Amino acid sequence: MSVSALSRAPSSRRVLLIALSALLIALVLGMEQLAPLFRALFPDQDPAMYQRESFLNLTLAHLALVLVSSLISVSVGVAAGLFVTRPAGREFEPLVSTLAAIGQTFPPAAVLAIVVPIAGFGFVPTLVALVLYGLLPVVQNTVAGLGTVPSQTLEAARGNGMSAWQILWRIELPLAMRVIIAGVRVSVIINIGTATIGSTVGAKTLGTPIIAGLVGNNLPYVIQGAVLVGLLAIVTDLAFERLEQRFSFGASGAAS
Amino acid sequence: MIELQGLTKRYGDTRVVDDISLTVEQGEFCVLIGPSGCGKSTTLKMINRLIAHSEGKILVSGDDITTLPPERLRRRIGYAIQSIGLFPHWRVADNIATVPRLLKWPSSRIAARVDELLALFQLDADGLHDKYPHQLSGGQAQRVGVARALAADPDVLLMDEPFGAVDPLTRDTLQAELARVHRQTGKTIVFVTHDMDEALRLASRVALLNAGQLVQYDRPAELLVAPANDFVRDFIGRADLGLKLLSRRRVEEYCRPAQRTRNNAIASAPITWQVDADDRPMALLGGRLGESDIARTVVNPEWIATPEMSMKEALSRMVWFRVTALPVLDNEGRLLGEVTMSGVMGHRS
Repeated sequence: MSVSALSRAPSSRRVLLIALSALLIALVLGMEQLAPLFRALFPDQDPAMYQRESFLNLTLAHLALVLVSSLISVSVGVAAGLFVTRPAGREFEPLVSTLAAIGQTFPPAAVLAIVVPIAGFGFVPTLVALVLYGLLPVVQNTVAGLGTVPSQTLEAARGNGMSAWQILWRIELPLAMRVIIAGVRVSVIINIGTATIGSTVGAKTLGTPIIAGLVGNNLPYVIQGAVLVGLLAIVTDLAFERLEQRFSFGASGAAS
Repeated sequence: MIELQGLTKRYGDTRVVDDISLTVEQGEFCVLIGPSGCGKSTTLKMINRLIAHSEGKILVSGDDITTLPPERLRRRIGYAIQSIGLFPHWRVADNIATVPRLLKWPSSRIAARVDELLALFQLDADGLHDKYPHQLSGGQAQRVGVARALAADPDVLLMDEPFGAVDPLTRDTLQAELARVHRQTGKTIVFVTHDMDEALRLASRVALLNAGQLVQYDRPAELLVAPANDFVRDFIGRADLGLKLLSRRRVEEYCRPAQRTRNNAIASAPITWQVDADDRPMALLGGRLGESDIARTVVNPEWIATPEMSMKEALSRMVWFRVTALPVLDNEGRLLGEVTMSGVMGHRS
């Protein structure tokens, strides 16, 4: 019974993932088709449809920002997590954890305020804010994930003649991968949402119609941007959920 | 062959292993035993350099272990620990193939070796080959662990309380299997345990350690008959020394010819076996405990002995079924002879 329950649950999540992805793509490409709907709902708004930029361009710019910032967060975060779990770097663990925590405590808006005078407007300050903000979950989960590898497993790996590199690549990273990916998932989801505020300093994102709507008191703009950001976050989350399941080896069940 | 020469391990000022010298000959099954903290596990892990020794020398097959890179040394020495040491993200076959892959054997040779080991440990059924460790029973996982240690056909096998986490029944089976594999492969084995019964059952030599020092290194029977001092006597357990000794002896050493008859008539001997045409025992005539008159007891499959059975078990069956003799049967169920209560007392060696 438990077997069938296990095999059924992911398949319904899969259907959900496919359906929402389809909806997201349809909205990105065909938001204009909904113009009559928005006009009917908001008869007093004159342009009831954001048209200064295509939603496709906004979405691609948004994705590029999230992708680049996440790539940097993940590489730096995983590297830092690996470093502080090696014998050579163990004493730096408290320092790295604190730095990552500071990065997350800083509100992204404050980071923008600091970075804009240095780096100017647009893509770069937003990127810096997102990288700092997304670092903590990656570092934390890398350290935690590597910590879940049982010491007997490591001893067996050493006792069977694996070198430190072989133990890292063949044993530690695969076993920690599920927890590390969970950290990346949190980091990416946060960044998808947070990237919208980059539009306050001139970065082109899905936040652009939202900010324009807020400034110009145009609720349809806000809805059009927010729906796409929300959908993007949900679809990404579901995709990561599937990715995490690939790295489940029943290790947690066997530990009991 | 493994030689420890003046082996010492210091942590600060404490000597957890203190000047141990012993030689484990080729094909020997050496059990390191002692109370917790006696240094037995540390001694074992110094042999494959999982722990570095402070003083002394360790030779494996004549080579000083410090002259080899640790990884090379460890690939030459099998290493088995409790089942949790299996790699949870690798299938059974991949786990067993660990060391051959590190040694870069061709894949066809690895596959053949894995199949050979699965067969040796009777793991070749039920598609176990492709299962993950968490899908195995405790006993199966433990067998895979030992198979992995044997995969690259090392001369030496180190085992650190490998059966510590399995239930007593499974442990019993695993011990019997390890004894068989040891007989079949002739490997030199160093085995750590804190269970004296396990040591007496498996060892060809027992090294008893206390507070980092080697107290006695001897054959199990010598340990029982001629303990070096009171510590040894206490550690073995004075109360059931006799039973421990019997657990080392096999029924075939005590087996005597049996008196047979084909019919119900009472033969002259006090213990007579009634057999059928194929020489299978049907009943025991006489030989009941506490009954002076001659009784007839029908043989049932519970109270028979086989040549490989330990005398401790045979004696236990006699007591339980209140008889003074057990029939010893061969594989076909034919009567080979008998073991008797008085025979247990008579034997000396």
